[in-house]
Amino acid sequence: MSIEKNSLWSFFSSVKLTITILVLIVLLFIAGTFIPPHDVVQTFANQLSPTVAKVFLFFRLSDLYHSSLFYILMTLLSLNLIICSINRLPALWKQYKTPCFPEPAGLFDNLPQSRIITADKEISKIKPIVESFLKNNYGHISEIEERRGYFFYTQRGRFSLFGVYIVHLSILIMIAGAIIGSIFGLEADINIKEGETVNVANLTKGNGIQQLDFSVRCDKFTVDFYKDGSPKTYRSDLSFIKNGQVQRQGALLVNHPLTFDRFRFYQSTYGIAPEIKAIVTYTIAGKKGGSIGLAAGDTFDLPEGKARGFVMRVEENIMQMGPAVKLRIISPKKDIQFWVFQQLDQIIAMNPNILTKAPMFNPGLFPPFVFSIDRVEQSYYTGLHLVRDPGVSLVALGGLLMVAGMIIVFFMSYQQFWVRIEQEGAKISISIAGRSNRNDQLLQKKIDYLCKRINEEIKA
Amino acid sequence: MNHTLILSWVTFVYFASFVLYLLRLIIGKEFWGRAASFLAWAGLIAQTIALILRWKTSYDLGIGHVPLANLYESMIFFAWAIILIYLIIEWRTKSKIIAVFVVPIAFLAMAYASIAPNISNRIEPLIPALQSNWLTTHVVTCFMGYAAFTVAFGCGLIYLLKNKEKGNAEKPSGFSGKLPALATLDTLIYQSIALGFIFLTIGIMTGSIWAHYAWGSYWSWDPKETWSLITWLIYAIMLHSRYVRGWRGKRMAILALIGFACVLFTYLGVNYLPGLHSYLKA
Repeated sequence: MSIEKNSLWSFFSSVKLTITILVLIVLLFIAGTFIPPHDVVQTFANQLSPTVAKVFLFFRLSDLYHSSLFYILMTLLSLNLIICSINRLPALWKQYKTPCFPEPAGLFDNLPQSRIITADKEISKIKPIVESFLKNNYGHISEIEERRGYFFYTQRGRFSLFGVYIVHLSILIMIAGAIIGSIFGLEADINIKEGETVNVANLTKGNGIQQLDFSVRCDKFTVDFYKDGSPKTYRSDLSFIKNGQVQRQGALLVNHPLTFDRFRFYQSTYGIAPEIKAIVTYTIAGKKGGSIGLAAGDTFDLPEGKARGFVMRVEENIMQMGPAVKLRIISPKKDIQFWVFQQLDQIIAMNPNILTKAPMFNPGLFPPFVFSIDRVEQSYYTGLHLVRDPGVSLVALGGLLMVAGMIIVFFMSYQQFWVRIEQEGAKISISIAGRSNRNDQLLQKKIDYLCKRINEEIKA
Repeated sequence: MNHTLILSWVTFVYFASFVLYLLRLIIGKEFWGRAASFLAWAGLIAQTIALILRWKTSYDLGIGHVPLANLYESMIFFAWAIILIYLIIEWRTKSKIIAVFVVPIAFLAMAYASIAPNISNRIEPLIPALQSNWLTTHVVTCFMGYAAFTVAFGCGLIYLLKNKEKGNAEKPSGFSGKLPALATLDTLIYQSIALGFIFLTIGIMTGSIWAHYAWGSYWSWDPKETWSLITWLIYAIMLHSRYVRGWRGKRMAILALIGFACVLFTYLGVNYLPGLHSYLKA
């Protein structure tokens, strides 16, 4: 057992160290919540003095939760936990495996009279009564024959000896889950305009980007408000496209993430895109054609005319003439550009010759199509947060174990009972004693109950 | 009847109950104790009814949600949980002594919720981040934990008071002679902290699960998260010093006070720091 005499080992196996580390972690957390965030500190420290700034950056004081100081403390705590556990395991195992006979020394000394029952019956009659009573109440019992009678043993909650171990193991499991998450996990943000398809995301930490194996299209973003003006719903209708095919469509809401290809998507923010969107409708030779939402830079197909359209510009109010869209239509025969005005009728009414003077103002330059603007809208972009964290299941397992362990630690105890039946002259004496690893009050209550019931059983 | 009206009556009832508990302590007649307990129970039942009414009213307004969604509602629930846990302890231990230090805290929470100018008692609709089934479990477990720690704080105060008296005079003088035995207080401190610790653990975990669904990460080092962890660690340190190093009595009482200060900071102080838990900001 030279290992236990090792001074480093004994250093790590002390509970004093645990408490010291925990106090240090608490102090670090307190500092962490009061030190302002990184960017603020950096500007401030740079203005103050470059040396202070260097110190701040070296110790990552503005991000203590990811500082080497915190990692060192967590490593120490983990080592301390592991070594404390290993150190105490042999004694615990011994306690777990201790044979029930002989009873702990002195257990039956100074036993109060209330714990000794005397009876006049024969020992051969009393023994089965006590035996069956214990069996009915505690299940398994052990028994030996002694010189003057019999000796029974029974127990309850032996596994609760390991409750503390379960709690400590759960902490290690959670730390492991957090480490796995921080090494192999990934967090990124994407802003997608309505109608746009995106396959790269900006990593949350640092300035890197993450190429995705699939792309995400925001079909629609909706924000609803309550009567009092506070937000009610943020909702993004998304399509996930892989290998050129939409593989999944779904509505993403706050509190309802979507999962695709090992990434979880969260509705994190939204905003109004700088460009506006025009809802353009068209007729084909006077008959109703279609309606498309267009923003500058969009392309669209006109299958009826074997043509492809490009949106050159979308204007909310051009030269006081209202909303307008500039389109370019390319077909095998033609390549033409023209403007579509929402208020074309009024423009013509004010300048009757406008279409001859400026043919580009004619929305019917690509016959038989005639375009018009139904309305212009502001377009939204949705801000998605995406996460891949392979450590989550371990952390969840740790959480479950911790609650289970705490219930064992706080609500259960290892209770042992010894019952001795002895022939003392003409009388039989039954003495009952017990031991518990915690909650002695409960044990004493149970022994009192045992005495009472056995007494009743014998008299009956 | 309007829930706001009932709640203002309940505030008054808790105060009256506190006065009666105090009378019992000073005069020593059990009549006052019984009257005080009766008032506390009556207040608790009335408050339960008011909470249910408020819940129902929110549905009538078309924005139905459990009344645990803003600072006002959490404060009312805090008071409710304190009284509930206290009355359970009173019933189990048959001792009314800690009421003098615990019931007034519930009264103060109720009074603060209705008087403080920056706390709105309006039923507000739930913003998207709060629209989750985890809201109820998270808030209930956290505040049951806070309430248990409040009881521990009350016991800790009595312990220190009595301990000081004991040092001053050989014979316990009138007031401290009526206080419960130090050993009883020590056990009560330990038991309420163990209870609060389990609730706080489950509270942090349910919050973590919720954050996993709402924010994308089970832990974001938001100041409230960090402070709840600080509180958890303080009580963990306390339990370890008791189990392993055998700390009892005065030290535990002082730690119960420190722990309660952390609880208060986690609940209220953190709102002055920037973070994600801004729902409670007034």
